[in-house]
Parts: sequence; structure tokens; C-alpha cells
Amino acid sequence: MSLLSVQNLSVQFHDSYAGGETVRDISFNVEPGEIVGIVGESGSGKSTAMQAIMGLLPKRAEVKCQKLILSQEDITPPFSADGKSAVKEEKLYEKKMESIRGRQISMIFQEPLSYLNPTVKIGRQITEVIHAHDKACTRGGARQRAKELLDMVGIRRPAERMRQYSFELSGGMRQRVATAIALACEPRLLIADEPTTALDVTVQGQILQLIKRISKETGTAVLFVSHDLGVIASVCSRVIVMHNGKIVEEGVTDDIFREPRHMYTKELIEKASHLQKLPHSMVSRNPLFVAEHVTKQYPGRINREQTEAVNNVSFYINKGEIYGLVGESGCGKTTLAGMAAGVYQPTKGNILFKGVPLLKMNRQIQMVFQDVQSSLNPKMTIEDILEEPLQLNTKLSSEGRRKKVIETLNLVGLSPKDTEKYPQAFSGGQRQRIAIARALILEPELMICDEPVSSLDISTQEQILELLEQVQIEKQISCLFISHDLNVVKRISQRLGVMYEGVFVESGNTRSIYEDPWHPYTKTLLSAILPPNPKMAKRKRRMWKVKESGGKKLLGEGCPFAPRCGYAMECCYAQSPKTYTFGERKIACFLYSEEYTGKRNDDYKMTSQI
Amino acid sequence: MPKYIGKRILISVLSLFMLVTAGFFLTRMMPGSPFQSGNVSEDILKSIEKEYGLDRPVLKQYQVYLKNLLRGDLGVSLKKPDVTVVEVIIRAVPSTAILGLLAILTASVLGTVFGIWQASSKNKVVRGGIFFGAILGTGIPNFVIALLLILLFGVKLKLFPIAGLTDSRNYVLPVLSLAAYPTAVITRLVQNTFCREMEKDYVVMARAKGLGYRRTILTHVLKNAWIPVLNYLGPAAAFLLTGSFAVESIFTIPGLGREFVNSIGNRDYTLILGLTVFMGIVVIGINLLTDLLTAWLDPRVRRTFL
Repeated sequence: MSLLSVQNLSVQFHDSYAGGETVRDISFNVEPGEIVGIVGESGSGKSTAMQAIMGLLPKRAEVKCQKLILSQEDITPPFSADGKSAVKEEKLYEKKMESIRGRQISMIFQEPLSYLNPTVKIGRQITEVIHAHDKACTRGGARQRAKELLDMVGIRRPAERMRQYSFELSGGMRQRVATAIALACEPRLLIADEPTTALDVTVQGQILQLIKRISKETGTAVLFVSHDLGVIASVCSRVIVMHNGKIVEEGVTDDIFREPRHMYTKELIEKASHLQKLPHSMVSRNPLFVAEHVTKQYPGRINREQTEAVNNVSFYINKGEIYGLVGESGCGKTTLAGMAAGVYQPTKGNILFKGVPLLKMNRQIQMVFQDVQSSLNPKMTIEDILEEPLQLNTKLSSEGRRKKVIETLNLVGLSPKDTEKYPQAFSGGQRQRIAIARALILEPELMICDEPVSSLDISTQEQILELLEQVQIEKQISCLFISHDLNVVKRISQRLGVMYEGVFVESGNTRSIYEDPWHPYTKTLLSAILPPNPKMAKRKRRMWKVKESGGKKLLGEGCPFAPRCGYAMECCYAQSPKTYTFGERKIACFLYSEEYTGKRNDDYKMTSQI
Repeated sequence: MPKYIGKRILISVLSLFMLVTAGFFLTRMMPGSPFQSGNVSEDILKSIEKEYGLDRPVLKQYQVYLKNLLRGDLGVSLKKPDVTVVEVIIRAVPSTAILGLLAILTASVLGTVFGIWQASSKNKVVRGGIFFGAILGTGIPNFVIALLLILLFGVKLKLFPIAGLTDSRNYVLPVLSLAAYPTAVITRLVQNTFCREMEKDYVVMARAKGLGYRRTILTHVLKNAWIPVLNYLGPAAAFLLTGSFAVESIFTIPGLGREFVNSIGNRDYTLILGLTVFMGIVVIGINLLTDLLTAWLDPRVRRTFL
């Protein structure tokens, strides 16, 4: 007997300009205790289908379902063609669903910050679910249960956390709280809608572990929605692939990944595996951009200490090279990018561009931003957007500008016909192409890409990365490529630097770092990459049992990673490690100090010490 | 928290000082003198002015006034020498304050109720009616509303008395006419923010938890929807508590607004300044209070500033 059985579910939005159905006639079952993955790119109707099952869609959505059965209970949403006669049925359905939501089926959403109410305390947000479904529960009982739940999802000092608000917690903690809320009434089915997409990789690992553990311990069935094949491969036992609102393939995870039958699945897996590729290496040693001991301090607010966003960072970018920069959110990547673009000046240290100190913004350095939605002015046509930098910076005639615009559009793979359109007319990937075109149109020598693919789907990601690679080869443009995703960075960069709390902990050749990471933090990051292959995913050694950052920074000296590091020694807390150089590899860790590794010959080949 | 309040009070004292200065010199710039009238001869006028120290240079008078002000002495009314300014204020405040407070309470409660009703009603007539009422409320000035209310409830229906403040029933009509405008504004504010908040993700989350419609609104939406209302309520409360001349005149209520307008007509320098200082203190105090209330409602503000 299935726990959930969905038969012929369709959803249609009436106000949508596209018209067609968002979800088309899908049917599937979920057995008790299993984890089913639903995969597909954004816009394929995954989330809409899940919300339709919960009855959470707004009124303007028309939900048609032949049968929806949750362990023998009929929860089919009412449907009437004219939409008017069914007010009473609507009311009854809503009443019934109120007792089912949160108690039988509950949901974890993608962005916990916006799904948790900012003005209500965490504790209250948990206890209210308990009160809503168990009228007999006392205040004290509910609080006790909330504490247990927070403890179960791995939050320490739960009593203290319950008095806090959602904006005072880190991303991972918020998602844990959301999980605790979802589990409060021991539901039989948990719908997790992209629960880790907004999180850092190491935190993603922790949340996945948590969901897996809870499913095992409590026998809760999980419907796991994600666009990330790696995530799906590592947690799900069965996979449903959705494309354009339809289910195109369904099966056991191993089978689907080993021999996908449908074209679309094949394509998805291929695209995701591309990310596993390593870049071609090349490169003349001819530094175009050099940062020497760069430090940026932000003046503290009143009564607070100064904060160092970037601390003593040195690196260089060769001509025609893509240099990758990885680190989790808040580690100072974007501050460094701002300094590299000449937007702010470093507090200490020098930045040299073509051998000359970079003192203000330079049009030889252009930026591509993360948010494709807001970095293009919606009131300007593509032509206006691309022409503007030319008008400001060159003396080209309008004829010449037009030619240049079309040339650049061709380069980024858009058609000249698109010049009259507005940014809304394009998809996320195409908008990022426009943003890249805008950066390229002045023929810069250095392009700074700040998380250019983070808001895109896997398949679009790969296209944009290919584009960047092609541009780099054709035009010999150097690129500082910033991302929190080591997977993406290692796919595209020739050399890379790993940043942690404003410090470069490891840098060197991408291939050698990927094959043999030295620094414990790099190892953690690499181990958190989820390959789109269930066998590899299961075999993989995990290192993410490290604590989450976001706690208090160590005062004074000490390696910033020490509190999370499994190999921390006494000296790691006492003083900060120097940067040790081994050929091309630079590493800031005591494990590679002379005292630790002993005196070496010049030709001694150093490998990882752990 | 105490530090924040301390800072606010310091700034308030500074702005009060500026208010007094501006007020002082502006009143002296008004043409005429408090004692000028048809049957007072030039000599007598001079001697009276000398007695009150009005013949001295303006800067000297300003000094003396500031010194007295620091001692809490607002002086004696120039027109009615037997009462001090403080006495005038003490006499006028209760009726104005009670009217103002009642009007604020009425406006907040009615505004919130109408706003949520308009936002969540499925009945087109209700939605349109409230919308239309809110537009009328913002459009018609309060003295017109006062007259209409008198005409309808006082003269035609004879439900409520139309003048004076002897009985609790006396309050109904003036409070309603004072509350009309803020009620309309709050209705529109609440309706607007309520609709916006209902689209937020945390409302979906609350539904996904299985909370009913009423619970969702009471614990989640209302608090968030009220934050912009508080921002409006500060200035509105200041306006109501300092008295409305028109409404007080129509209902012949001896309140602050009436005293203020009369004192200007009389060029009663000390009374004008005294009332200005008093209203300044009220406005500043109310703004501090609304800021503290906002912090109480919105933990994000609380954790950042307090």
C-alpha cells in the first residue's frame, strides 16, 4: 500500500502569459519510508506539483487531479470547470487540509530566511505547529518538545536558540530550524523542496545527512526536489525526472544514472558530468594582475572592533588565464573582487595592473555580476545596454557602435535580432550572456566574474562556462572567476586560490589541487562535492562533520580554520601559520611547516600530509 | 537602550531650543502689539509695554525669556494677567488629550479592522464600499465632517449633543470627526501592507504548518502589517494631541487648539511661546514613543539600534 498516490495531476495558471499547463498529467507513488528524488531544471513544474499536493497554490492556479490518496485518505483537491459552484467543497477541502498539513505531510522550502517569519521567535514558530495539531498539549509540553526537536536536528543550546529570531541564525541553522518545524508532528511524508540550494556546500552536506538520518530513524518518507543531480544521487533511492511539466523517466537511482533511457535524462547527466572535467592547462607566465599582501579592513561600527574582510592576500593572474577563487559565503571573496576592480582601495598592500598600481576603476577591467535579474536595467533594450559603455568610453560613430554590438552578440551566442528586446524577454542563461557581452564590449584585458553561474541551472551553468572558456581562448582575456562552488571553479580555472575568513589557505595549479588537496579546508570542500553518480556518491569519504562557521571569531592570533579543523594542533590556536611554498603550491597550514615536515631536499616531492 | 534614549533626549533638547528661538523671533516680527486697541492712547501703551519689559531690545527680552524657561516659568498671559501660561495649558490639556487619545484609538482599531476586511473580503460590495469610504475620509476635511455629523446625529436624529463637554456622550461626535482622516489613512495602509504580507513566503509556510486562516493572521501577518502603520501613527498622534482648532471651535470645546489660535489673534506673546514649547515636547515625546514601539514590534530594529 503506497503512502502517497498521485494520479493525473495537472496545474494551470490562468494569468500566466505562457498559457499552457505548468504541470501536465503526472502520476506517481511514494512508498512508506523511502526517499524519492524529483529532478528537473527550474520551470519544469517540480515545486508547483509539490505545492499542489499540499494544496498551497494560490487561487489563480487551477489544479486538476483525478485522485490524490494519502494512506487511504482521499485528499483530492476539488475541481469544477466553471470554478464557481464549488465554494462549499473548497471550504471543506481547506478544512481537511489544515489538519493534514504539518501533521501528515510537511514541507521544507528552499530559502529558509524568507519562509521563517522575521518578527516571531524561533521557539514560537515551532510550538505553534504542535499547538495547532494537538489541542491538548500544554505550553510547557510544547516547549519541551520543541527543545527535543532542535536537539534532534543538531542545534546546540536549544533553549537559547528558541528565544532568537530567524535573522540571527546562519543559513544552515535556519534550514535546521525549518526541518525541526517540519518534523514537529512526526509527519509520514516530508516534502523537501530544494532544501540545500541556497546553502554552502559544506552546510549542504550536513543538511543532506540530517534528512537521510531522520528518514531512517523515524521511517518518514521523503519527496526530495532538486535540480542538482549530485544531491539526488547521494540521498535518493528512486528518481523521477521531470521536464516541461511532464514526468519523462522514473526508476531506481542506480539504473537511471547507469543507463538513462530518455534523451533529456541523458543530457542532464552528461551536463552534470561535464562539471567533473578538468580544464585544459596552458599559459605563459606573464603576470597581468598582481595582488601583493592585500588587506582590507572595514571600520567597525561604534563600540565594535575593526573587521578584516581580507587579510594579507597575495596572488597573480597571468595573461590569458582564468584564475579561480573559492570560499564559502562571507569569506571576503566579493571584497577582494571589488578591490581587484578598483572600486575600493586596499587598506594595506598593493594591487598592480600591467605593472602599474591600480588606483581607480579602469575600463580594461570589467565585471560580470551574480544576479542576472537585477544587474540589467529592465527599462533598456539590449542595444542600449551594450551601447552605453561604448558611448561613454569610445569615439566610435553610431554605425561603428552598432557593428560592435552585433559582433559582440555573435561572440556570446545571441542573435543580432535580439537587439531591440528588453531583458525580461530572455531566460536566466541568456541574460548572463548579455551581461558577459556588456563586459566584453570594451575589449577588457581582465574580466572579474563574481559568482556568474550561481543563480543558474546546471545545464545553463555548463553552457555559460563553455562560453567563458571559448572567449578566454579566442580573445586571450584573463579572468578572475569567483564562486562558492569548488566544482564550478575547478571546471574552468587553470589555477585557483581557496579562501577562508579572508585568508588564502591554499593556492596553486587546479589539477594538482583537485587530485591532491593539502589543506584540511580544501579537503572538506572537495569531499562535499556530490558527483552525479550514486556509486561514487556512496563510496566517497565524507569530511563534513566539521562544525559550522559563523560562531565567534577567534580573538587575536591563530589559524582561522582551527576551530573547525580535525587536525588542529596547539600551535594552530596560538599563532597564525605562515604561507609555505612548494613549487607552484602555496599553503598556509602548520602541517606543511618545516618543523612538521622536516628539512627537505630541493627535489623532494611533497604530497598531502593527511 | 538607556544610551539610545539618552541620545534621543539630547537631540530633543536641541531641537526644542531651536523651536523656542524661531518662535520667539517670529512672534516679535508680527505687526502690532498685545496691548494695542482702539481706546488705548499712545502714552498708556508705552507705559504698559514698559511694565512688561517689552520696550527693551529684543535680544535682551530673549535672554530673559530663556532664563525663565530654564526655571520652568513660562510667564503670565499678557492678555489675561491673572492667569499664568502654565495654568492655561493645564486647563486646556485634559479635554484635548482625551479627545486626541480617543480619536487615535478609534482610528487604529477601525483602520485595522476595515483594512483587513477590505483586503480579505470576497464580497465586491464590501471591498468597493471600504475603498470609497477611505477615499472620502482622506478627501473631506474634518470640519466638514464635523458639520455633517452635527447635522445628521445632532439636529436630525438628536442622538448626541452637539456642543460642550459635560457628558461622555458629548465626546462621540468630535472624536468621530477627528478620527475620520487617520482612520481612512490607516485603512489604506493596512490594506496595502496586508496584501503584500499575505504574498510573503512565511504565510505559505504558516499554511504548510496547518495553521488556520485566523491563526496565520493573528500571529504572523498582523505584526508585520502594523509596522508601517506605526510610522504614520507618530505624526498623526502629534497632530491630534495638540488639538484641532476647527473641530474644537465647532463643538465649542475649550481645548489647546482654540487657545492657540486665539493667542495668535491676541498677539499674546507669552502664551504663543508657551503653547509652542508644550506642543514641541508632546511631538518629540510621541516620536520617541513610536520609535520604541517600532522596536518592540520589529526585532530587527530592536537588535540593531537598542
